Amino acid sequence: MKRWSEELECFAQAIISGQGVPDNLASHYGHYDLTTAMAIYRNNYRGNLHDALAGAYPVVLQLVGDEFFRLMTYHFINQTPSHSGNLHHYGAAMAAFIADFAPAAGLPYLADVATLEWGCHSAYFAEESPAFDLEKLAQVAAEKHADLRLVVNPAATLLHSKYPVADLWRAHQPNSNHDFQIDISSGGCIALVVRVQSVVDVCELSAAQSDWLLQLSDGTPLGSASEATLARYPQFDLTATLLELVAKNVLTTFTLGA
Amino acid sequence: MTLPATPALPCTAGIGLRAVHYHELLQQLPAIGWLEVHSENFFGGGAALNTLRRVREHYPISLHGVGLGLASPPPLDQRHLAALKKLCDEIEPAAVSEHLCWNSADGRVINDLLPFPYTQAALTHVAERVEQVQALLGRQLLIENLSSYLSFNQSEMGEAEFLATLSRRTGCGILFDVNNLFVNQCNLGVDALAFIKTLPADAVAEYHLAGATKHNGCWVDTHSTAVSNEVWALYEIALQQMGPRPTLIEWDNDIPELALLLNEATKAQQQMGRFNETLV
Repeated sequence: MKRWSEELECFAQAIISGQGVPDNLASHYGHYDLTTAMAIYRNNYRGNLHDALAGAYPVVLQLVGDEFFRLMTYHFINQTPSHSGNLHHYGAAMAAFIADFAPAAGLPYLADVATLEWGCHSAYFAEESPAFDLEKLAQVAAEKHADLRLVVNPAATLLHSKYPVADLWRAHQPNSNHDFQIDISSGGCIALVVRVQSVVDVCELSAAQSDWLLQLSDGTPLGSASEATLARYPQFDLTATLLELVAKNVLTTFTLGA
Repeated sequence: MTLPATPALPCTAGIGLRAVHYHELLQQLPAIGWLEVHSENFFGGGAALNTLRRVREHYPISLHGVGLGLASPPPLDQRHLAALKKLCDEIEPAAVSEHLCWNSADGRVINDLLPFPYTQAALTHVAERVEQVQALLGRQLLIENLSSYLSFNQSEMGEAEFLATLSRRTGCGILFDVNNLFVNQCNLGVDALAFIKTLPADAVAEYHLAGATKHNGCWVDTHSTAVSNEVWALYEIALQQMGPRPTLIEWDNDIPELALLLNEATKAQQQMGRFNETLV
């Protein structure tokens, strides 16, 4: 006789694979057969994952339409098991999947849109972050400024794309002007997902700002990060960028010392 | 185990609050006794949690979990538990509930509410989990009976007996979903009257009412329609046998206008009210 956990593993396998019927189940029911019952569990399994993906990727869904989105999620679900009881965690690997999904090859920007949307989805559910304390920063002696480490919000997602995906994303938001006249070959963008007072938004950074922010994310002290960015981008406005990223809760706090 | 007293749900009708109704509810603040939300939708921080904080200023809240998978063979997900604990500490809910089900095996999760064989071994396993969650939250958990489309040959007892014993062992409460019993009565031939008589009335702390739909001869717990006459009739029997309890109208798919949900809640309130009067 199988162990209890093995009984459930057989049941799980039959649901996920879509094949077979476990032998530990009653085979006869009043008004239907076991195959019907198993089909309901299989549909629930796939349907719940599909709905989670549709919830996390509304712009991808609008761009490809319901039928194509179902085709994509069908294959995605086949190769991507869920690992969390919280459905909001499902679908992180969608962008990587889309990049390799041959039927979507004609939409080369789609994977980047998915990256942006997962950033938005994650930011929506992210833990609350502290607001950067500018007054406390002002109390730091000037000679120590170079050694400051600015902490980047882990919920912020930075994306360098060859396509204008930030414009694409904005045009497909519920309250946008729906200006779909976007020339997909008009050039790339540097998109940054932010959450300001619980509202998730996508903004764009200059190459200099992104260069600086990436160094801060790696833990580079303020002095060397700023010097390196200014050497590459002499027009870089350090103060304005600092204030903008503080206002957008991208920078949340700072540390001083090793 | 002894659990501290926690604020209880009022013995009135409540509705399930879903995202499509957040704005309207906060604008209108309708007269409804309490609201139930799915816990997982408020894990983390941000807009959803902000909304729940505002709702909590006006209504008692019941946190209803759908993702813990209490009966799953692997250990409970500590990240999930920590998020639930944090949410409970902040919202101070009047009830916290989960389902008598499992959702993960062998490293994979099936995001559904799955049935399992009701055995002594399962009882020991689930009781340990319930105690673990109650100890962490410092409060009683309500466990809901499941709607099911199949049954296991190895079951050594019925679901009601399983729940009754679980409650006796762990001190957990029972969330009696009347629609789930209706579904199991139709699908699996469960004796509904015997089920209700087996549940310990003292432990039943909440009722759920919802609508199911029929697919290829099998009733599926879709929460997508109004409460059926059969479920209202079973609710009447539950009221007779066990008395009034906080009663939720649950509607998760093809969600109707808020006014219609409130109307269903009024029906439940009226049906419950007749029993409140007879108790006086």
